[in-house]
Amino acid sequence: MDAKTRDDLLGLFQSKLNEAMHFYLETCTRCGVCTEACHVHASMGQVRYIAAYRHEIIRRLYKKHFKARGKVWPSVGESKELTEMALDELYEAAYSCTGCRRCMMYCPFGIDTQMLMSIAKLLLIGANAEPETLTMLADMSIEKGKSIDIFKEGFINGLKRLEDEVVAKWRQEAGEAVIPVDVEGADLLYVALAGAHSIIPAAAIFNAAGEKWTLSFFEAVNFGAFVGDPTRTKLILDRIVNEALRLKVKEVCICECGTAFRVMKQLSGKHPFTVSSITDVHARYLKEGRIRLDKTKFNVPITYHDPCQIARNGGVIDAPRYILKQLTDDFRELAPEPAYNWCCGGGGGLVALGEDTLDFRMKSSRVKVDQVRGTGATILTTACENCHTQLSNLRDHYKMEVDVTFLSSMVADALVPA
Amino acid sequence: METISYIVLVPMVYLAAAIFIIGTTVRLIKIFKAPKHPTTLQIFPAKKPAWLWALHDTFLFPTVRRHKPVLWVFLIVFHICLLLLIIGHLELFGEFEVLQIIPHEIFLGKGLVGLLTAISLLYFLFRRFRSPVRDLSVPEDYYLLILLFLIVLFGSQMDWARNWYYYETMSVEDYRTYLGGLITFEPYLPESVTESGHAFMLVLHVFLANLFLIFFPFSQVMHSFLSLPMNKLRRG
Repeated sequence: MDAKTRDDLLGLFQSKLNEAMHFYLETCTRCGVCTEACHVHASMGQVRYIAAYRHEIIRRLYKKHFKARGKVWPSVGESKELTEMALDELYEAAYSCTGCRRCMMYCPFGIDTQMLMSIAKLLLIGANAEPETLTMLADMSIEKGKSIDIFKEGFINGLKRLEDEVVAKWRQEAGEAVIPVDVEGADLLYVALAGAHSIIPAAAIFNAAGEKWTLSFFEAVNFGAFVGDPTRTKLILDRIVNEALRLKVKEVCICECGTAFRVMKQLSGKHPFTVSSITDVHARYLKEGRIRLDKTKFNVPITYHDPCQIARNGGVIDAPRYILKQLTDDFRELAPEPAYNWCCGGGGGLVALGEDTLDFRMKSSRVKVDQVRGTGATILTTACENCHTQLSNLRDHYKMEVDVTFLSSMVADALVPA
Repeated sequence: METISYIVLVPMVYLAAAIFIIGTTVRLIKIFKAPKHPTTLQIFPAKKPAWLWALHDTFLFPTVRRHKPVLWVFLIVFHICLLLLIIGHLELFGEFEVLQIIPHEIFLGKGLVGLLTAISLLYFLFRRFRSPVRDLSVPEDYYLLILLFLIVLFGSQMDWARNWYYYETMSVEDYRTYLGGLITFEPYLPESVTESGHAFMLVLHVFLANLFLIFFPFSQVMHSFLSLPMNKLRRG
């Protein structure tokens, strides 16, 4: 690595050093309490997957380049020069971490591994060593935001083809838009994913609840956040924020996508609209009596996987349980406390990397499979696209006898007139 | 020998105290002046009031109690003893009525506090020789524990000798003369301090403690100051 590249990368490192990051870099006592926290370590047993070990890969560079002792007495903290080899280590640490933050439930200080890994991800981008797929997907999202008019017509035509399926789930009054788009003054802007499964059930439920809603032109997922690029993350986010401001909506509802929800809810600052997850909105409709569900629709034991970014990191914990109580009398918790739920193993961009990470994702999530099997449930439902894909992959790989479903689809399928 | 004792007991103490105070202050100012993280870093479910739960997490180590109960027992014992030892040392500087609300002999615990601290430190040290903590540890972790163990051992020797072997040539008053001189910048070493059979222990104790104070601002021991704000971040 030449001096110029190293300096540039250290500049990126420096840009991440805010107060919280200093806390996390200065404090670890390497007590090892986090050893059992990571699903990758629990499944595979290698030391390099312990949270504190991952931290130390970043911390060694910090000690070398940002602390005097890195020059005066480098060996005391095993500080380490930023080299090509260090980049390999950063890749291994960052892209084997799903950013689930379960380790924060163990650390006596609350060190945030996802934050420390964001340094690694940014350095990898700076060195052009990040997974190209993620950057490419992020750039495509940004491009779509810049030239929406080109996409608009195709998008609206595509929606027309979905209308019959929406009406099949919930009959519409004549003259009402089945999937409204671009409605100024709507109460709720729904941000879906690019896929019928994310639009059809949601549309049926909004219509059943009599919601004054409109569908966003953009997909919710934020590939910029997966790849850890703050600039791209913001550009992707701004497309939706600007649309919500233009349409003057009161609420932005994010579909079943953990990253999209957390980025919009927690990382986008203050807005004149509220941000909700679709699970929150469905629970609200049920509480207000705007929709009603048929409890006999699914007569099997059901368990629910809390997506890390929505539950532990996003605070949506009670809403899915409220919904499930209306859906079944046989709901089974995966973990005694939802905050301790194992990550599915697909977060942090790993699922988006598809086949490239499949082998690792299967090996690193054995504990998740054991957890699901332990419930005896035959339906495993969740509220996150990534989790759904990963859990489906796990079902196929480990031959689990469960149906993996989206919670919103179950709600749509069980709709009865209120 | 006298010169070495003098250097350790007077100028080196000033140097260590200066590095400790200035180093810690400057480093803390630098850290707290860095931009705040723009968004929340909290974990759910949230409990209110967050600041009270942050205090609870900082001082009672609930996550350690849950996941490593044996370590928790030693951690709690160690940190309580540390507090008692700090009180004990403050009382060697002079009389503080507020510290004598519950009247006690100077250096609480009749030597047991030092003993428990030393045992806890040995536990912390030995658990680092085993995997997986061994794989996570860096030299700093061993140096600090060994240093603290030796400081406590030599310091406690003096306490144990007084309490258990009735070896009272060095009294609380003698320490007060020495330490009082240091803080009024009129250093004076009473003969009882430099000539007693304890002098060797005292010099070693102070020498190692000086090293610890010098290293403090640059090491993970800064968690003493940073644990509370970090736990506040987690609690939201």
